[in-house]
Amino acid sequence: MFRSTSGTRRVTLVLVALLLSALLVLPTQSQRLLQHIGVPLAPIVTLPIEALAALDRSLRDMWEGYVALHEVHEENLRLRREIELLQHQNGRLQEAASASQRLTALLEFKGRARSQTVAAQVIGRETTNWYRAVVVNKGDVDGVRVEMGVITPAGVVGRVVKTTRSASMVLLVTDPNNAITGLIQRTRDEGIVEGTAQGLARVKYLPLLSTVRAGDRVVTSGLTGGFPRGLPIGVITSIDKMEGDLFQSGDIVPDADLTRLEEVVIITAPREEADSDAASLQTQPPQQRKP
Amino acid sequence: MKRLLYLTLVFGLVPIQTTVLSHVSVGGIRPDLCLVAAILVGFFTGVREGFLLGLAMGFVQDLFSAGVLWLNLVTKGSVGFLGGVAGRYVANATTLTALAGILGLSLMSGTVFLLTVGPAGFRDASFAVRAVLLPQAMWDAALGAGLYWLLAKRVRRQRAILEGPTGLGSLIR
Repeated sequence: MFRSTSGTRRVTLVLVALLLSALLVLPTQSQRLLQHIGVPLAPIVTLPIEALAALDRSLRDMWEGYVALHEVHEENLRLRREIELLQHQNGRLQEAASASQRLTALLEFKGRARSQTVAAQVIGRETTNWYRAVVVNKGDVDGVRVEMGVITPAGVVGRVVKTTRSASMVLLVTDPNNAITGLIQRTRDEGIVEGTAQGLARVKYLPLLSTVRAGDRVVTSGLTGGFPRGLPIGVITSIDKMEGDLFQSGDIVPDADLTRLEEVVIITAPREEADSDAASLQTQPPQQRKP
Repeated sequence: MKRLLYLTLVFGLVPIQTTVLSHVSVGGIRPDLCLVAAILVGFFTGVREGFLLGLAMGFVQDLFSAGVLWLNLVTKGSVGFLGGVAGRYVANATTLTALAGILGLSLMSGTVFLLTVGPAGFRDASFAVRAVLLPQAMWDAALGAGLYWLLAKRVRRQRAILEGPTGLGSLIR
């Protein structure tokens, strides 16, 4: 495969050495270059990933559905979906009730439903063991961009960190490299939700005087990132309040079951952007509007 | 034939790694097929092929990883290169030496990841070593040693056919 003359060998080695040096000296520029090189390559790999994922799913479904306890499995799935739906409804209702006390939340809640979304299927897992991420089958051509939020009916899943033409990488909320602004639903205190090395999540930088306690729900604050306000992230299981610390923090169990992800929803435009789109339409002169 | 094999490795291993390999994970840890392949190709075919194939596989792996776009490229290229160096200088390699070599190279590659991912504090770092670095190195070494045993047996058989007293080699000569 690599048979060549000593001249081309030398040129190849020099080019490779230059590329590797560029990677270390100019990390941002080389990232862009590598991304550019990867554009035509990624679809070649995405196709077998989708094929293998479909084969894997059908084999698993066949095994679980027909061989191992057919009826129990069906019922289990139905109940699981029902629980997820109820959890989601519960989170939404709690959020709406809490916000209505301040006479603004109902509008926000309606606005949240106006987020533009794209449904995607999980087709694979991260290729290394060092990140907690999944591959989904929607990419640049579907309007997916880096930093967009990803959710399921149960709650927040993570955010998009890399896209190719037809696939995207979603960094899960349990990865230590992920950070989302969160809000304690009961106390309205804000904090940063980060993943932990152990595969859970943690809300940090909560005010020391906050009355937050185990069992409190954490939702997205909508201040940064691709999430609208009020989407469920998880439930606090314990609080760390060390003497002398400026902040307190708490462990969270995510609402979404991140080990069994199959379908997700990517938020392509959170409420705020949808609102601004609507506002820009309204400010246009009538004659410029499309019929 | 060789070209087809290399193309299959570059574009076929990552789909397997992201999909079906999760079924053989132990404690959530899977072996790194690209790392093992880069080392073995380097060992059996030479420094240059190991290095270039490692770079290619690493790059494709980076496209489907949440990390930066050079991490797998550099680590897989390096282990392919070092696999080639080992193939050139290690005389009378056995399955046990292959196991030790792949274990060492996987630990080296994992250390680069550990330093790049940058765990928050010593507690997280020691957890990452125990939960990811060591189990993955053991997985890689076990899988690599098994594949080495199979490949070495095949290579030995081919050599015996070509170089034996009544083998093809003597007929050709």
